[in-house]
Amino acid sequence: MVGTEHVEMIPVAKKEIWSAKVNGRPVEVLAPSNAILLDVLRDKVGTLGVKRGCDLGTCGCCTVMIDGTPRISCLCLAGQVEGTSIVTVEGLADGAHLAPIQSCFAEHGGSQCGFCTPGFLVTAQALLNENSAPTDQEVAQAIEGNLCRCTGYQQIVESIQAAAAIHRGEAEPAAPASNPHPDPHPSGPEEPQMPPGHAR
Amino acid sequence: MSGGYRQQPGGAGKITRKDGKRVAGKQAFPPPGSGGSNPTMAPRDLDFIPEMVGGKEAQPAGAHVHDRARTGTSVGKPTALVDSNAKVTGQAWYGDDVRLANEVIGKILRSPHHYARIKSIDTSKVEALPGVLAVATGADSPHQFGVLPVTKDEHAMAVEKVRHVGDLVASVAAVDEATAMAALNLFEVEYEVLEPVFDPKKGLEDADEPIHWRGKYHLARTNVQKRVFQEFGDRSLVEKPLASSHGKWKMAGVHHGFTEPHAVVAHWDPNGRLQLYTPQQVPHYTHRALATVLDVPMHQINVIRTFVGGGFGGKSDPFPHEMCAAILARKSGRPVRITFDREEVYWINRGRHPSHIEVKMTADEEARISGFDIDALIDGGGFASFGHVTSYYNGVLATAPYELGSFHYTGARVWTNKPASGAMRGHGAVNTRCAVEVGLDEMSEQMQVDPIDLRLANLLPPHSRTISGFRITSNGMREALEKVREGSEWDNKFRQMPLGKGLGIGCGFFISGSGLPIHWDPNRFPHATVHIQVDMDGGVTVHTGAADIGQGSTTAVAQVVSEVLALPLEMIHVRSHESDTSPVDLGSYSSRVTFMNANAAIRAALEIREQILAAAWEILGYHPNNLVLNDRRIYYKHDPAIGVSYLKALHKAQEDKGALIASGAYRSPPMGGVHKGAAAGLAPAYSFSAYVAEVDVDVETGIIKCTKVWAAHDCGKALNPLAVKGQIIGSCHMGLGQVLSEKMVYGRTGHLQNPNLLEYKIPSVHEMPHVVPIIIESCDPEGPFGAKEAGEGPLLPILPAVVNAVYDAIGIRLRDLPLTPDVVFKGIEKAMKAAGADDPLDLKSPRVTHGDLQPVLVKRAAEHKTRDQARQRSEDTSQYVNGVLFGFDPNIPLEDQVEGWRTATEPDPEQLAELGLAGKAWLKKEQRHMGGDE
Repeated sequence: MVGTEHVEMIPVAKKEIWSAKVNGRPVEVLAPSNAILLDVLRDKVGTLGVKRGCDLGTCGCCTVMIDGTPRISCLCLAGQVEGTSIVTVEGLADGAHLAPIQSCFAEHGGSQCGFCTPGFLVTAQALLNENSAPTDQEVAQAIEGNLCRCTGYQQIVESIQAAAAIHRGEAEPAAPASNPHPDPHPSGPEEPQMPPGHAR
Repeated sequence: MSGGYRQQPGGAGKITRKDGKRVAGKQAFPPPGSGGSNPTMAPRDLDFIPEMVGGKEAQPAGAHVHDRARTGTSVGKPTALVDSNAKVTGQAWYGDDVRLANEVIGKILRSPHHYARIKSIDTSKVEALPGVLAVATGADSPHQFGVLPVTKDEHAMAVEKVRHVGDLVASVAAVDEATAMAALNLFEVEYEVLEPVFDPKKGLEDADEPIHWRGKYHLARTNVQKRVFQEFGDRSLVEKPLASSHGKWKMAGVHHGFTEPHAVVAHWDPNGRLQLYTPQQVPHYTHRALATVLDVPMHQINVIRTFVGGGFGGKSDPFPHEMCAAILARKSGRPVRITFDREEVYWINRGRHPSHIEVKMTADEEARISGFDIDALIDGGGFASFGHVTSYYNGVLATAPYELGSFHYTGARVWTNKPASGAMRGHGAVNTRCAVEVGLDEMSEQMQVDPIDLRLANLLPPHSRTISGFRITSNGMREALEKVREGSEWDNKFRQMPLGKGLGIGCGFFISGSGLPIHWDPNRFPHATVHIQVDMDGGVTVHTGAADIGQGSTTAVAQVVSEVLALPLEMIHVRSHESDTSPVDLGSYSSRVTFMNANAAIRAALEIREQILAAAWEILGYHPNNLVLNDRRIYYKHDPAIGVSYLKALHKAQEDKGALIASGAYRSPPMGGVHKGAAAGLAPAYSFSAYVAEVDVDVETGIIKCTKVWAAHDCGKALNPLAVKGQIIGSCHMGLGQVLSEKMVYGRTGHLQNPNLLEYKIPSVHEMPHVVPIIIESCDPEGPFGAKEAGEGPLLPILPAVVNAVYDAIGIRLRDLPLTPDVVFKGIEKAMKAAGADDPLDLKSPRVTHGDLQPVLVKRAAEHKTRDQARQRSEDTSQYVNGVLFGFDPNIPLEDQVEGWRTATEPDPEQLAELGLAGKAWLKKEQRHMGGDE
């Protein structure tokens, strides 16, 4: 019963090669010409960090940076952004070194369930790229299109401000995520070996 | 790490070996435990070690049973969630992120009718569609399931009837989404449309075709799913009240609004075992329901909890789409993924019940609360879900924190043809709590006293029993009230601000874990079990079934294990995703996870610690009582130079048995009364909270803006203050949504009109006030290191605080939630008419002059404070039961000393005439009692 052809009632768009730079790497995938960017990123490119929350542009979970500007990928046709440079949440970190915005979200409680986090991170990073000394009001304006149901936003704003301080050079970035304790077993010099039950 | 006791004289500096090579330390390849590049032990963090065991952490509530397990490593320190790196890098895998090879897409056919009988389903055209791999209907899933064993009324797909628009009719799996969508159009379903019920009041009446049929237990022919009657105390006390309040409330249904839509992936592996990936709060109940529905033993199912993108109670039922995915996967032989769109999320719902609540309360001449009389009619929608419990919670969770003369509750939950309501953060307690707290505000005004003083003079003390028999242990209510009063400058602002600006108080009381598990006799199985395994590498693997839904339960478990074993958090690995490897845990509901799991984890970790210390005893020759555990090292109390590394001791302990393995469990103590429903609301501990909210009301438009909230919550002990603050602020957000903007709108035709996040108004960053989280630590004697819940209780007080603040701002009591501008402005217009004012700006905001009772209350509150402090520290071990304030003797059963003191769970015949709206359900008889009538 396995079949691959479509019935006629389904509008079939022609499949075309879609290319763009995703997280610094050139990507070429075969996608229908009317494909939505969110679908292409999740299903074809494999950047599953881009989250689907509402499909209506209301939650902001699917925000990605397109040529440096945050954009809601569920309201964006892939064809519209052909050839651009796209940054998703996966592209924020530099190898094992988390971007300041990422480590600050972790440390300041900006992320609880984490589902809206990718969208917030991308939006906030775009803000910090433009303005590393935003006021709380400016931060609020930047993230007004992102919904978070866990944190009540307060710790998100705090996280963004903490990351801004790192961007300004006023605070130290966190240590790289990998291997925080190179050897977790300190020991003393030769340890005294006593017979069991030896009392002093 | 600097400043610690340096264990390697000369440092870990480079040493030249005989062969001329310069190496770190003494050996070329430092074996684990040799010191290596991090040879120093962190100093003991005395600030986080209780003073009773020699540290500097203050313990105003006295010693705790877990004090000796404290090492100052993790507990009490703000800690990033252990899975936060996965979340900030986009690597956290939620339901829809599980992509198995060869997957196919499942879609669900949903009912277009509110209520209809399915006469036939023709699937032949669907099956003939190329690309369709499997089709399933109700015929494939005849077994019923439901989260509560007493109310199993759901099917995977409709059998016989559909009960609301969006109810599942059939499902299909196809090679891609487009084909699956196309296939949905090819189902030919013949319906016989039935008369739907939307209004819960109608649900109380007999219907031709009740939505469900419970056989001999069915209440006449109504749609009442559950009715409750409870009466405690001396009803004669309510006669001749000094003050009284009577409020009729209408509360709209609200939805959890989690950001991740439901998604599930089912896969039958080559051995015929089901692997089911789902973002679930209660994987264990899903596990059970799957076994029932699929007719497969539980051990042939592995439920894998993915990361959960927000739950709040909305992912705590076994869901029909999970069954559908499993059935489709079994039929197609391929992994099936079903992902909801946002509209489907609202159709499965399980949000807070739309409610009609009526509260009458009275206070006597000494401003004691002589009676609560609560009536709650709640709209359950199409299925029972958690509703049985919700029906109780709407009443019983109002029996504290105040001492009551009498308590009377009637509640009913009815089935209607709408998406099912269920459990949502603050389960059942939120709406009634709001009504009660606003009533207290009203009474305080009548008595010309300060509402905070009224509360302070009527609180139950720590270690007491409520009127319904709940056992209260630690109680930080008083401190919470005092803190918010001070923080908000209450005494300078309340009833003194100009028109449009207001300040309001609200309190909360919530369970910290339900005392009885849903599914089994508590005498036979523990509520939570945690396994710990330590192998030769020294890493600690913790297995727990606790479902982390973002609240940080995994982190809490890792923290307590790290604390007991004095190991850095990085060495603790929590495995909690799979039912195959996790011990059974009941799931994340009723704020039980931290309390129960952390308790179980402490027990398991203590067992491991004992084994390691015994090994250290063998090595060092000092009894474990004289040994100190600190940061990967064990040393002699009086001479830190005599010590052994954790790893060496561990290897010694492993000599005969290999990996160390321990299991810890938690079971709540026997509690509570014997009356019907006594178990509902029982908990091993209760949380308390008090909020003050400040609002701006624009009297010309009715727009309310909450500007600041002082939020004090008694969580016993903040294991992770960062997470507790996050929970408090997040609760404010969710509660504010309910009180100001969120509403599931059902039109005249019964259709849900706003099933999307555009029209369902979740507060954005601009609507959020500045929240000042205040953590109160009352140190619960049975909580893990003293901790209680912090996830749900903090939501309760925000609603009444805002409603009371609106009254303070414009002098209007509004009882129709949410307080959207139209509701507020209607109230303003009414007030203008009453005052004969033409301009809303001419309205007067209320003022207060304290009367004669105020000094009486202040004096009583001061006396009670002394009493409470003594009881908190267990200096005063006398009994305290609700009723002492009214002069009763706690040592004699109240029934024996007070004439008319009763504990009733059914109305007397003479009471039937005066029952409230929901109480009317008691006018009907169950089928089994109707004899030949039916």
